[in-house]
Amino acid sequence: MIDFVTGLVGNLALGMSVALSVKNVALCFLGCLIGTLVGVLPGVGPIATITMLLPITFGIDPIGALIMLAGIYYGAQYGGSTTAILVNIPGEATAVVTTLDGHQMAKQGRAGVALGIAAIGSFIAGCVATVIIAALATPLTAMALLFGPADYFSLMVLGLMFAVVLARGSVPKAVAIILVGILLSTVGTDLESGEERLTFGWTEIADGLDVAVIAMGMFGFAEILRNLEMTQTRDVVHAAIGNLLPGRKDFRQAAAPIARGTFLGSLLGLLPGNGAVLGPFASYTLEKKLAADPSRFGRGAIEGVAGPESANNAGAQTAFIPLLTLGIPPNAVMALMVGAMTIHGIVPGPQIMTKQPHLFWGMIASMWLGNLMLLIINLPLIGLWVRFLKVPYRLMFPAIVLLCCIGIYSVNNSPTDVVMTAGFGLFGYALIKFGFEPAPLLLAFVLGRLMEEKLRQALVISRGSFWTFVERPLSAGLLLLSLVLVIIAILPAIRQSREQVFAEAD
Amino acid sequence: MMSREAGSRGLVKSPLDVGGGLFLVALAAIGFAGGFNLPTGTLSGIGSGLLPKSVAVLVAAFGVLLIVQGLIFEGDRLEKWHLRGPVFVLGAVLLFAILIRGSTLNFGGILGIPLLASVKVPGLGLIVAGPLAVVVSSLAEKSTRLGEIAIFAIIMTILCGILFKELLNLPIPFDPMGLVPAPVNHAYVGAKSAIFHAFTDIKNLFAR
Repeated sequence: MIDFVTGLVGNLALGMSVALSVKNVALCFLGCLIGTLVGVLPGVGPIATITMLLPITFGIDPIGALIMLAGIYYGAQYGGSTTAILVNIPGEATAVVTTLDGHQMAKQGRAGVALGIAAIGSFIAGCVATVIIAALATPLTAMALLFGPADYFSLMVLGLMFAVVLARGSVPKAVAIILVGILLSTVGTDLESGEERLTFGWTEIADGLDVAVIAMGMFGFAEILRNLEMTQTRDVVHAAIGNLLPGRKDFRQAAAPIARGTFLGSLLGLLPGNGAVLGPFASYTLEKKLAADPSRFGRGAIEGVAGPESANNAGAQTAFIPLLTLGIPPNAVMALMVGAMTIHGIVPGPQIMTKQPHLFWGMIASMWLGNLMLLIINLPLIGLWVRFLKVPYRLMFPAIVLLCCIGIYSVNNSPTDVVMTAGFGLFGYALIKFGFEPAPLLLAFVLGRLMEEKLRQALVISRGSFWTFVERPLSAGLLLLSLVLVIIAILPAIRQSREQVFAEAD
Repeated sequence: MMSREAGSRGLVKSPLDVGGGLFLVALAAIGFAGGFNLPTGTLSGIGSGLLPKSVAVLVAAFGVLLIVQGLIFEGDRLEKWHLRGPVFVLGAVLLFAILIRGSTLNFGGILGIPLLASVKVPGLGLIVAGPLAVVVSSLAEKSTRLGEIAIFAIIMTILCGILFKELLNLPIPFDPMGLVPAPVNHAYVGAKSAIFHAFTDIKNLFAR
């Protein structure tokens, strides 16, 4: 135990020594600032933000680039909450809950308090989650080394099943969209035989489709197309922002929800397959159940902002664990991070920690730093965000289109990528129109390649016997769990309650 | 949003599901066609075609499932498709892609169709492609005011030029390539370098 603690402290100290260099602090600050700036724009979620800003990290060394990207990610997350509170438009699924009470508080002239408690709750959650990541990293990485190809494959199956259970709408559609993602992942040259697959002789895609292209098309452009059709009334809060620092009474009310939200969010964020999205919902439901007067919820209860925001941030943070230790992204944002890391020459997985400890611990230490930055940036700059939000959408979306074009062109300096992004914009638009949720596709796309590789390896090792997936205890357990999840997803009773959870948010 | 209406609607009970199912079947068909000639291999040595083909079959199966489901159970209507948004937004993106570095557009020339026409588009750089992308995409929204968006487009492009070219040194082309008559180009390059000199001076001022 003592060994473990000293090891942890030593690792964090190493991380801090990397993260606290003047350059890396500046990059972290810049990342958080720009991430918030773009994330605040209504209808621009973390995925679009990261893709759009990916090129600005080029030309920075890998450690600095990763620290900056992580900063952009937190910034985008927090920017989404700001928009949720001030404009009642959630940037992404996890911010939906924040609109319920956060926007009500804003209407009552307590926007400042709502934003303040969201920032403070997120900061506390971030601190705790960082320690959890640091503590779990070593044992999980050790465990990852025990994983054979068959176990990896089954783990990814489990992750995708989680994504099915947690997706909105019909189960067959969720499964189908994941299969489409896997199908897209097979486009390009086959790694073993060198044959071109599904390219139709088009040399531009011989290297496979780029995750950034798909992300930008489906989450940047398709999202704009959808927003243009929604005759949404953007009621930017006209009431005064009010005092930023919550009062003593607010703190007393919010303290326990922050603690519970942090716990729930950290735990759920660890799950493969976008468990993080459940955190805010679970926290909101829990706080409502525990409250002495549940009718306050939906009318500006501070617990309804503090709990879910803490859960959101904790989950956003612990979602890094499966990526950094196992190399398996748990959700669409992390899938994009895989792409971003690959551009910088880093292959996520257990070998990062052993081979590049500076990078690994530096990034973890920078997570804590990033949370501190958010607190420092956001509270004084709220006035600026409000003014930003008042820019009409008719000016905002052409600017977003231009930034997306420049961003995607710069990833590979390729006009063809820009054309393909437009294609995926149309594809994403069609998916939305047919009632498919696009996020699981991105996750399945990134996992698809890994899954095929592991499947082939496993079958080579077992000399072509599929029983290897059931004979290995770890793999068998994971597959059994996946099966349970499928049954849960299909059972009518649970389907209904699943719809209720999401319906409450709508 | 979507309206769920009671009562019979003829053969198709849920247009949304049937439409989604047909879409999946179409995707699967493309996928299967693309992997048709690839070897499936054996279980101990999986060929490159196994996964694409089997996943395509599964996608088609779910497509059929959705179609059947949509024929039996009541469900949502299809949402209305709009042309204006996709045409102008994605059109602007394509325009940007074509103009930024210049390209040769071939019409026809794939899948057995002979080459019908070939147009060479000069590279116009961000300074032309940028404002065009902003203005064209803005037409997707009814409330756009042309004067306002024109000024906004120029400001945005200059800001992007400063950010991406000057500060981040990304290799995105900014100036038109060999298209402008020499005197105009001279004046333009002169003006631009003057602006950038002033800018660098300001930057150096802060750097000290």
